[in-house]
Amino acid sequence: MSEHQQSTEEIKKVDHYLDSGFKIKYVYENLSGMFVEFARQEEVVLLQILTADARKYFSAKLQEQTLLQ
Amino acid sequence: MADLRIDLAGIKSPNPFWLASAPPTNSGYQVQRAFEAGWGGAVWKTLGDPILNVSSRFAAVSFNGQRVAGFNNIELITDRPLEVNLQEIYETKKRFPHHAIIASLMVEPKQEKWHEIVKRVEDVGVDGLELNFGCPHGMAERGMGSASGQVPELVEKQTYWVKEAAKTPVIVKLTPNITDITATAEAATRGGADAVSMINTINSLAGVDLDTWNTVPHVAGKGAHGGYCGPAVKPIALNMVAECARNPLINVPISGIGGISNWQDAAEFILMGATGVQVCTAAMHHGFSIVEDMIDGLNNYLDDKGIASVMDLVGRSVSRYSNWGDLDLNYKIVAEINNDVCINCNKCHIACEDTSHQCIDLYSEDGRPMLKVREEDCVGCNLCSIVCPVDGAITMVERKSSIPPMTWNERQTLISSLSK
Repeated sequence: MSEHQQSTEEIKKVDHYLDSGFKIKYVYENLSGMFVEFARQEEVVLLQILTADARKYFSAKLQEQTLLQ
Repeated sequence: MADLRIDLAGIKSPNPFWLASAPPTNSGYQVQRAFEAGWGGAVWKTLGDPILNVSSRFAAVSFNGQRVAGFNNIELITDRPLEVNLQEIYETKKRFPHHAIIASLMVEPKQEKWHEIVKRVEDVGVDGLELNFGCPHGMAERGMGSASGQVPELVEKQTYWVKEAAKTPVIVKLTPNITDITATAEAATRGGADAVSMINTINSLAGVDLDTWNTVPHVAGKGAHGGYCGPAVKPIALNMVAECARNPLINVPISGIGGISNWQDAAEFILMGATGVQVCTAAMHHGFSIVEDMIDGLNNYLDDKGIASVMDLVGRSVSRYSNWGDLDLNYKIVAEINNDVCINCNKCHIACEDTSHQCIDLYSEDGRPMLKVREEDCVGCNLCSIVCPVDGAITMVERKSSIPPMTWNERQTLISSLSK
């Protein structure tokens, strides 16, 4: 899979969780990339984001969420 | 016709082109010829206790047919007695009262030494002083030049001593042989400098002769590091000028030096905050007459831009120079290949495939070889357009981003608010 395809897949997952009512709860980064905890009431899911473009996209979504709060 | 006159910390000159303190300004004969050719000012070759030079002294680095892409020297300051230089400065100033003559000075880091030379030099009518805290070879081994210029406390102290005695503006010339030139530029400012100039030459060894194994240059089979200058150092100098220009603690004019070879180079330094420029290597390579093209070119450029005075150009690009963390992560450009112009040398494909992001595809259309950029994989690195030998074959074009601008610093602040 090309890096572009991989980032497209990761962006889709970010959109999927946000469109499904999840909120970004925690974010942390380490040598393996970015890890995001999405929470919807008691339900929590962890997403690992590897690609640079998807991490940029996620940052924009986090900004949107922050502005709406 | 634009006004090319400059006022650098009170030093006025008919244009921003000065000869730097170096072999071209060794004598009154040379400086007067330079003024006749059109140079607006000259920083006299550094005065101090007369030294002894060696033979040979210079070496150049040629690259792919370009002679003197870089220039290396192991020559020291003036080897002539002070009285001889002062007499010639006096005569030159008398003949060219409206041109700027700045005396470059270097003495031991002692208050009385600085006071003495400042007084003697100012008595013959110089327009300003430039303290040589940058010469990297020979004099540095004796505690002067860059040995002084690498220690902010010594820069500040010696500048202060000079200012105690000086009646004319004091320019402090800085060495690039230091991790952060703003540290010494700030020190000069704290010491009372009226202006700073940069850069002096960079520590260098021009080469090694593969037949004799001697250094280039060598002196009877032995070599020593020299100072590097010329076109190769321009980007280093330009960055240092820009870093000082955008530093609010360095609130004095800048005289830009380092690889300036034509009016375009000069305009870049001026845009990045230099009030004027100093030139050496280009004059040594091509002679004093190059200043004619510099004057014409800068004048035409200012006219084309509708700018009445070169002083109005000073620093116009400084606000565009920032920290990496303040750049927009979401700004997007991609390469676009014009196959009508492309000569199919495939250098772009090779460069991208081997050393960048593998986003230029080779394909055939009606039997004709073609190249195409896969935009989704292009990171806009510029490499293909840099290696392309044909003007107009590759253009970097802007693509609207689907997400709003965000800098690294903004992103980190945002993420830290939700970090564990």
